[in-house]
Amino acid sequence: MAAPPARARADYDYLIKLLLIGDSGVGKSCLLLRFSDGSFTTSFITTIGIDFKIRTIELDSKRIKLQIWDTAGQERFRTITTAYYRGAMGILLVYDVTDESSFNNIRNWIRNIEQHASDNVNKILVGNKADMDESKRAVPTSKGQALADEYGIKFFETSAKTNQNVEQVFFSIARDIKQRLSDTDTKAEPATSKIHLDQASGSGPAAQKSACCGS
Amino acid sequence: MLLSSLSQRDFKVDCRDAYGFAVRPQHLQRYREYANIYQEEEEERSDRWKTFLGQQADSSQLPINGTSSEKYNKELHAEATEQEINNGLEKGVDISGEVPSSDVLLENIIEEKQSATGKKTHGIQIWTEIRPSLRVIEDMMSLRIMRKGNQSEDQQETKKERMVPSFEDAKSAKGASEEDSEDEFYDVERSDPNQDTSSSDIASAPATGAPADALPPESSFPWKEELEVLVRGGVPMALRGELWQAFVGARTRRVENYYQDLLASETNSGNQVDQQSDSDTKGSTADTVCVPEKWKGQIEKDLPRTFPGHPALDSDGRDALRRLLTAYARHNPAVGYCQAMNFFAALLLLLMPEENAFWTLMGIIDDYFDGYYSEEMIESQVDQLVFEELVRERFPKLVNHLDYLGVQVAWVTGPWFLSIFMNMLPWESVLRVWDVLLYEGNRVMLFKTALALMELYGPALVTTKDAGDAVTLLQSLAGSTFDSSQLVLTACMGYQNVNETRLQELRNKHRQAVITMVEERTKGLQALRDSKGLATKLYNFKHDHKSILMETTQKTSGELSRSESGSTNADEVLISLTGDAEIDSVPDQVVWLKVELCKLLEEKRSTMLRAEELETALMEMVKQDNRRQLSARVEQLEQEVSELRRALADKQEQENAMLQVLMRVEQDQKVTEDARIYAEQDAAAQRYAAQVLQEKYEQAVASLAEMEKRVVMAESMLEATLQYQSGQLKAQPSPRCVVNFASAKHF
Repeated sequence: MAAPPARARADYDYLIKLLLIGDSGVGKSCLLLRFSDGSFTTSFITTIGIDFKIRTIELDSKRIKLQIWDTAGQERFRTITTAYYRGAMGILLVYDVTDESSFNNIRNWIRNIEQHASDNVNKILVGNKADMDESKRAVPTSKGQALADEYGIKFFETSAKTNQNVEQVFFSIARDIKQRLSDTDTKAEPATSKIHLDQASGSGPAAQKSACCGS
Repeated sequence: MLLSSLSQRDFKVDCRDAYGFAVRPQHLQRYREYANIYQEEEEERSDRWKTFLGQQADSSQLPINGTSSEKYNKELHAEATEQEINNGLEKGVDISGEVPSSDVLLENIIEEKQSATGKKTHGIQIWTEIRPSLRVIEDMMSLRIMRKGNQSEDQQETKKERMVPSFEDAKSAKGASEEDSEDEFYDVERSDPNQDTSSSDIASAPATGAPADALPPESSFPWKEELEVLVRGGVPMALRGELWQAFVGARTRRVENYYQDLLASETNSGNQVDQQSDSDTKGSTADTVCVPEKWKGQIEKDLPRTFPGHPALDSDGRDALRRLLTAYARHNPAVGYCQAMNFFAALLLLLMPEENAFWTLMGIIDDYFDGYYSEEMIESQVDQLVFEELVRERFPKLVNHLDYLGVQVAWVTGPWFLSIFMNMLPWESVLRVWDVLLYEGNRVMLFKTALALMELYGPALVTTKDAGDAVTLLQSLAGSTFDSSQLVLTACMGYQNVNETRLQELRNKHRQAVITMVEERTKGLQALRDSKGLATKLYNFKHDHKSILMETTQKTSGELSRSESGSTNADEVLISLTGDAEIDSVPDQVVWLKVELCKLLEEKRSTMLRAEELETALMEMVKQDNRRQLSARVEQLEQEVSELRRALADKQEQENAMLQVLMRVEQDQKVTEDARIYAEQDAAAQRYAAQVLQEKYEQAVASLAEMEKRVVMAESMLEATLQYQSGQLKAQPSPRCVVNFASAKHF
């Protein structure tokens, strides 16, 4: 899970797969674009189905490659996007602080995770568009924090536009996952076999083929 | 036709291409390199199309489609002359100093002009027929639509009778300013696409359905191959909007007033909902009310996100986009609104009037992409499996590598297919792919293009070291496919044996897997919902049943206009309810499935009988076998038990003997101990006795020594006496009497 395949060992120490979910228009793609490319644009942001970005970060002198899946928020794409839940090690639940329904839907998204993701997946709650004027805010910070506490997960308010807390969110969940991975790794499970299992399950229905072809 | 309102300034501010679409900063350099090539290609293809259309006009001696060749020639002539006139009116847009050549592309996009008959005050029409010179092509392309839905004509008739308000009034303000701009004009080819159509009586001529019967068979179009080559070479921007309509058959699909009707039906649908809520119990209406709401919310969210900042998509443009998407959602509720359609609709709006865009969009979604954007998106998922199989077949080496990395092609190609490459390829390439796709009348071009991209970029992908790198590399390479001609030619020439028949076979092969998967997923959801309880479920069932009925009544009463779309709706509703039929379930298939099911049931029954028999036989065998084995075992066990008993007795005897021995030894030990104790006591007594004797001996020795002392004393006294006596004897005579005297004295 944690160890890279033999051939790519030089590239990174850990490979972490993240997934962004949340209602349509809450800014998942913007958040990801800000984190992966360091830019903010409103030009290319509607995700049709799924999208994918990578970024390698350094944590405690370990190189961690983040593979981040971005999903379409519209409900009907869920048949497609839920196939990607299982491979995820961490899931970012994103809502828009100016859109209360996107916050209320977080519970539905969590139900989706319970149904489709692996049990030990790390979660983090993200209230995006925190740069917006207070008059437009519909979800107070305390409400977001309360929900996060209820589920026992971490919570950040971010702004892809101003780059507020964007790094922190991704680093925070990456750190937690790395911790979890190194904990389970020390339990003497062969890591290399795990990575392929993981990739296989992560790639959805037709993934069975890849499991046998891995290194 | 929103592109016509582009203004020069917008292009300089953003990095936008000749069509007004944003160019990603990293691609700007390459785009500029290609802009000149695009320009040259555009000029070239404009000439070729011009020649082709000219030939068509000349060769059409016989009346085609009820229009005389005379009329055709006249129209062509009119086009030619009016071109000159329009030159002055055209907008020439200087995009930027660096890309001067791309201007022509823009200029070719011409706003709709008012007819010579002088309706200038009326503003833009939302429906305009395409120029007559393209009519032949349109007629040819319409053949396949005619074949599909001749039976829909009756409904079209009823449709037409309904009176609906037009949207022209709302739009009338627009376009008034359009002819104000008199920028420089570079146009090298024919211009105004619409001017002549509205000018002649053709616009109001033959009813849409009528020419279908008069149409000659497709084989009577000897120029079909030439047209195909031209389409692959690209459609000139000036003709694109009209040719796309011709390809999709917008005019043939059109039902007059249907679009306006849909837009006006807001209140109607509201009434329906009310009626339903009257008959149903409270809470049930939530579903029906929510459906249109759901589209609305999503459409509103996506309006500003559709080509944001595009100079032609101002607030009027976005209003048109909203109407178009809303109308489609109402037209086909099984699809409603799906993200990606906003991009299609916007592109079409940039190329043609609003209602034309509606019918073109409707053709694409209902026909080309039937089942693709519906709630379950089954066909979209099926296509991915089909495509994966094709890739496996064609590029084994690449697939090996991708398997090794754990990459699925669908990760990248899924979005390609769903967006029909929009935002995935550079715009010139997108449009070129669309040209061919719309011309071919199916989505085979999706597969061909994706395969071509795999061919072009496969070698680079093989060098990647992990899944993330592979996916991002393929994405970025695809995003910089500026050589649109290479792409389209590779796609069309290299993959000619990828055709609709083969794809249908593959789709049929994979469809069941997808349906099963979707079912399982919905079952999972249902399991969660089961907590609602039986009553709710029962109620839902009744409610669903009702909605089917409603659908049917709507269909028959003609409220849903075209039976073609109506039946699709009904089918899809059925599917979404029962969840286990194929999307394009035709009666034949149903019958076949029933037969198949019966066969399977029969088989199952006989198999179960046989299984029972076998089980009984097995049980008996097992019983017999058991009895024999058991008795043997019991004997053996008894033997063992007796042996054990014997052994136990022996052991006990031995133990007793041992005990006796032990006791004897113990007694012996005790005796010895006693003896020892006696001996010790004796020894002690003797020791004491010895001590006493020793003491006595010492006393005796001591007394002896005293006696000896006394003896010595006595002797010395005797001596002294003797000496005294001798002294006396000297004085006295005899010594013997002295000794006697001494001894006498001693005693």
